[in-house]
Amino acid sequence: MKKRTSLWATAGVFCLGVLTTVGFSVQANAAAKCITGDRKPPYTLGWANIYSVPTWMKQTEGTITSMVEELKKEGLVDELVITDAQGDANTQIQQIQSMIDADVDAILLIAGSSTAPARVIEAACAKGIAVINFDSLVDTDQVTAKINTDSNKWGDTAAKWLIEQLGGKGKILVLNGPAGVSVSEDRRAGANEALAANPGIEILAETNTAYNVAPAQEAVTSLLFAHPEIDGVLSLGGALSAGAILAMDKQGRPMVPITGENARQFLELWKDKGLTSWATMQPNWLGALAAYAAVKALQGEDVPAFIEVPLPIIDNSNIDEYLARAADFPADGYIYSPYDQKLFDELIAQ
Amino acid sequence: MSTPSAVAQRSLYWPVQWSRNRGLFGLFVVVVGFLLLYAYLFPGFLSVSGVAKFTQSWFPLALVAMAQAILMLTGGISLAIGPLVSLGAVVAATTMTGPPGALGGIAAVALTGLGIGAVSGVIVVRLRLPAIVVTLAAAFIIGGVALLILPRPGGAIPLWFSELLAGNMPVALGVLVVIALLWKVYLATPLGLSLYAAGENPVGAYRSGVPVDAARIVAYAISGLLCTLAGLFVAAQTGSGDPVIGNAFTLNSIAAAVLGGVGFLGGRGTMRGALAGSLLLSLMISVMFFLGFSPVAQYVAQGLIIIGAVALPEIRRWRTVV
Repeated sequence: MKKRTSLWATAGVFCLGVLTTVGFSVQANAAAKCITGDRKPPYTLGWANIYSVPTWMKQTEGTITSMVEELKKEGLVDELVITDAQGDANTQIQQIQSMIDADVDAILLIAGSSTAPARVIEAACAKGIAVINFDSLVDTDQVTAKINTDSNKWGDTAAKWLIEQLGGKGKILVLNGPAGVSVSEDRRAGANEALAANPGIEILAETNTAYNVAPAQEAVTSLLFAHPEIDGVLSLGGALSAGAILAMDKQGRPMVPITGENARQFLELWKDKGLTSWATMQPNWLGALAAYAAVKALQGEDVPAFIEVPLPIIDNSNIDEYLARAADFPADGYIYSPYDQKLFDELIAQ
Repeated sequence: MSTPSAVAQRSLYWPVQWSRNRGLFGLFVVVVGFLLLYAYLFPGFLSVSGVAKFTQSWFPLALVAMAQAILMLTGGISLAIGPLVSLGAVVAATTMTGPPGALGGIAAVALTGLGIGAVSGVIVVRLRLPAIVVTLAAAFIIGGVALLILPRPGGAIPLWFSELLAGNMPVALGVLVVIALLWKVYLATPLGLSLYAAGENPVGAYRSGVPVDAARIVAYAISGLLCTLAGLFVAAQTGSGDPVIGNAFTLNSIAAAVLGGVGFLGGRGTMRGALAGSLLLSLMISVMFFLGFSPVAQYVAQGLIIIGAVALPEIRRWRTVV
């Protein structure tokens, strides 16, 4: 492994050197933020999760534990500590403080609030603990790296697809995740520009629900009663799309173009009901990538401050590729694309 | 429970205190046990900064437990605790670094809590509406207002204020002690004395000339104040405002108060019980981390500990009866 790693590092440095300047290659050897260099493997990783109950989180935990198993075999990690704040950002702060007290080597974080954990995370960073923040990000730069897809782009691409499907004219519903949560707000904000540029698109109503099928179905059901004519649904979450389809199906309403995510239930309903739809993916393996990046950073390798994971597009042309692997995923889970350490090396080197 | 006659009151004070403590004996034992266990698992707890960091985690829950307990003592309840904490945090984060300044911001936070508390108190008490319905409606309104003021997490708190309240010195613990002492002082005032009476037997208390309505409305106002102050602290601790940060506090405040022996029907319970209940809930999170419990095991352990702490005095009583 050591040999392979150095090979990759060398290759990375070489490419950067060719592409840019000498100064850049010097930077590539510099340690990442929060890394003091006095922590030796095997490392103890702490995952400060905000809640562990939803299937998306369980699948994410699955990718982290399997990556940790790989790293354990390589002698790089000896323990993974997991906390569950049960949705409470205050509890999460306390648990991160406990991780600092226990002096873990790295903290992986899905933040329950984009602002609340900032101070405790800064304290962790100051103690030389590698902090890798993924999926739900914190407004601080005192972290080793942040890993995410671009939520703004998510909303923008979804809105543009829907507008194109409707020919720039039609009445739509907008389904959002919970109010006041960054991911949800960012996806919605991303859609704004395209919606404003197309005055023919009329937003009948917007919903804010948890990213779950049942509340979304309930919310859409009551909206369907109020609006007899709906041309499209701009859903900004996978489970929300499944809820919307179920609601429309129950009332015998015609299916309309709908956006969403790689939720298995949504993809299956999409195929089943013969929809024309669009989806993207917030990969569960962001968790595995976070664990991998933490170890790389602790080993003194350069890890960029922000690792942007590209958003794939799932549409009627390639949905079968995803559904072919459906059986490997929980019925209410997300069908994520395959991953391995090679992919992660490429993402870190980008 | 407290007799109007001053002479009788003096001689009754200790027996009343003792009878109130008796049901809490099990809880106190469990709390002390957990404190010792925590110190054993994490020796750093026994340092100034260790105590400071832990009490900072506990502090907002302690305040909302008091906010809930004071209402439950009057026979009321609030489902708006969490949103009020959020609103307090949001008001703090939007005013303290703005034109009102730090002191102006703190005043705004305090007035918000007092005002909203007093208004909900008046609605519940004067219009004779059920507290659970009024505060549920208030929860939606307050939560919505918090989101209107700050649609997404943001705002700022002066750094010195964060460092003062949530730095490496146990300032929060000191503030908590002061608040607990103020509670004792309040209980000695006529309105404070009326609190238990208004909760346990409102009709009897009213006929004896106790200002029942005033005692209950003031209880709501104080409760509101404690909630927004908890929000102020959370904002200081996190350095910012989050419009949904307080949500979990509604249920946790009830859990802490009930764990602390405060009854739902009014007039039963003590503030020290509610504080101990909140301390136990907070301690459990840290202790279970150091015990290395998996999240799932933590859910189970949490439930067992709560049942244990509540059941312990009952088991003792049952044995003495048999």
